[in-house]
Amino acid sequence: MLTKKQKWLNWILVGFLLVLSVFFLFPVLWMLANSFKPDAAITADMNSIAAFIPPAPNGSFFENYVSILFNTKFLRYMANTLFYAALLILLGIVVNGLAGYALAKIKFPFRDQWLLIIMMLLIVPTETVITIHFLIIAKAGLLNTVLGYILPSIVNPFNIFLFRQVFVSLPDDVYEAAQLDFCGPVKYFFTMVLPMSKTVVATVSVFTFLNVWNDYLWPSLVFTSSDLLTAQIGLNSITSNDNTTMGQTLAVITLVTIPVIIIYSLFSKQIVEGVTSTGSKEG
Amino acid sequence: MSFIEFKNICKKYPGADRNTVDGFNLNIEEKEFIAFVGPSGCGKSTTLRMVAGFEEITGGDLFIDGKKVNETAPKDRGIAMVFQNYALYPHMTVEKNIAYGLKNMGVPADEIEKKVNWAVRILGLEEYRYRKPKNLSGGQRQRVALGRAIVKNQKVFLMDEPLSNLDAKLRVSMRTEISKLHRELGATTIYVTHDQVEAMTMADRIVIMKDGIVQQVGKPMELYEHPVNQFVAGFIGSPQMNFFSVEVEGNTVKFCDGNRLALPEDTAKKLGGRQGRMVLGIRGEDVKLDEESIRQHENNKLEAVISDTEVMGNENNLYFTFGGSQAVARVSKYEVSQIGDRISFVFLPSKIHFFDEETGVNYMEG
Repeated sequence: MLTKKQKWLNWILVGFLLVLSVFFLFPVLWMLANSFKPDAAITADMNSIAAFIPPAPNGSFFENYVSILFNTKFLRYMANTLFYAALLILLGIVVNGLAGYALAKIKFPFRDQWLLIIMMLLIVPTETVITIHFLIIAKAGLLNTVLGYILPSIVNPFNIFLFRQVFVSLPDDVYEAAQLDFCGPVKYFFTMVLPMSKTVVATVSVFTFLNVWNDYLWPSLVFTSSDLLTAQIGLNSITSNDNTTMGQTLAVITLVTIPVIIIYSLFSKQIVEGVTSTGSKEG
Repeated sequence: MSFIEFKNICKKYPGADRNTVDGFNLNIEEKEFIAFVGPSGCGKSTTLRMVAGFEEITGGDLFIDGKKVNETAPKDRGIAMVFQNYALYPHMTVEKNIAYGLKNMGVPADEIEKKVNWAVRILGLEEYRYRKPKNLSGGQRQRVALGRAIVKNQKVFLMDEPLSNLDAKLRVSMRTEISKLHRELGATTIYVTHDQVEAMTMADRIVIMKDGIVQQVGKPMELYEHPVNQFVAGFIGSPQMNFFSVEVEGNTVKFCDGNRLALPEDTAKKLGGRQGRMVLGIRGEDVKLDEESIRQHENNKLEAVISDTEVMGNENNLYFTFGGSQAVARVSKYEVSQIGDRISFVFLPSKIHFFDEETGVNYMEG
């Protein structure tokens, strides 16, 4: 039970955070409002409060969006990105999940040392190994292919660590019971371990999606064919085109941002739970 | 040949300086209900897990239904197991938990449906069949675990302390249910427990273990009446058997507080002429306070002051200090005494046990 003083403090804190959040929301609101305007209106409203207010709906309200979606390859880029994300989520769960399971439940020589090495990889920034990845993919003749794009991203030390931390707390007697129910180890992983660990599966899926959606450097190195580009690269190629208006630029940025906001809103609980559920879950 | 045969079974964990289970020999007949009991760490669960195939057997041979199973995978041993923590599949409903094994065995869907219906009916789980384990009470979860085991028609049931997580009242009712199931299904059952009451009430035979070694195997009343050593005598029975450090001289037992007891001829004979220091054991119900018993053994009447009482409802436990030890007498509910009362009592001579002070061997069972 909160005391009166604590309630007041809570209200003050909530008020302060609301004011603070407005500062962070300003650029987003500005982008959203202006993405519906022609360039002339954007310039005219620039120095007034009208810059944060969308125009009244009329025939040309969605013009910027329509021209982006139908006059450029942006829809294709978004579909590409969704496809890559789906592939990487699927493969990532299987590969990192199996690795995490082995590190959590299977006894083999130097298991703890392996875990330590994997954890040490967490501190290596992607940029430091990207050249090596590029050379390997190029030598394998996989540049400009989907396989070349997804291959270096399947194994993810952070995801292995997340899976391992959750799997380690799964009770061993469930595996023993499953064995007596004629369930082999592979079937056990897919029909028991993964469904029992929905939270971490959701977390890894969300993180993988966001990584793929926001990735810029690696796809810009691997892909040259415009048919394979991702949304972020597509965004760059559209906005750097001289014929693209400011309104269209803001519309395409809004389109790129929407999935991220949706994913965060839908899965924020799982993201927090997944990252914090590293302790025991028994009991 | 017995249905399950343990031949000198040993288990030694890597790095351990002694065997966790040492030279375990036992023959279990078909349809028998055997309980392994003993204190924590005595090796009873390890032995059970070796039968299940979850622990490697490091010495000896294990036979199930005439077949050596040391290297056989758990699923191929023809066993079903109920685990201490239920080990239910948390993402599956009661129905799916019970049906999972059958499905993996390739049993046709209509057959599975029949068996699940039968299991949920006899276990009283009909109204919970679409619930997940997290929405069930401890007793209901345990019944699901039982259901999962019984539908597979396996020849051997293994139960690893299945009732230890339940409250006292539920334990009693589940005890009855498991006994009833065993009678109906007739599967050979090995039941591990640290609760001697469970073992006494459910098992055809009990195996008492200590430090990985079998102390005694026998029917419940055999163990109760004729324990082979002081450990078994102390482990079986509640309250525990009274033990007194005594000196035997001729036919006289001298307690360390100066009290004396004259042994009848036949009891002294069983001692086989052994003299000197030993441990006298007598169960609480064989310490008699009633007038008739005292009249019969007038010359061996002893006295003590009650230090504590336990009113059990159907009987009373009277605690007193005697012969340098704390002792208890189990008397009928009509024999009411208060703390501080001086009581007269006798030990029923035919029920007295004498144990070796060093080895604990019961001289009376020699």
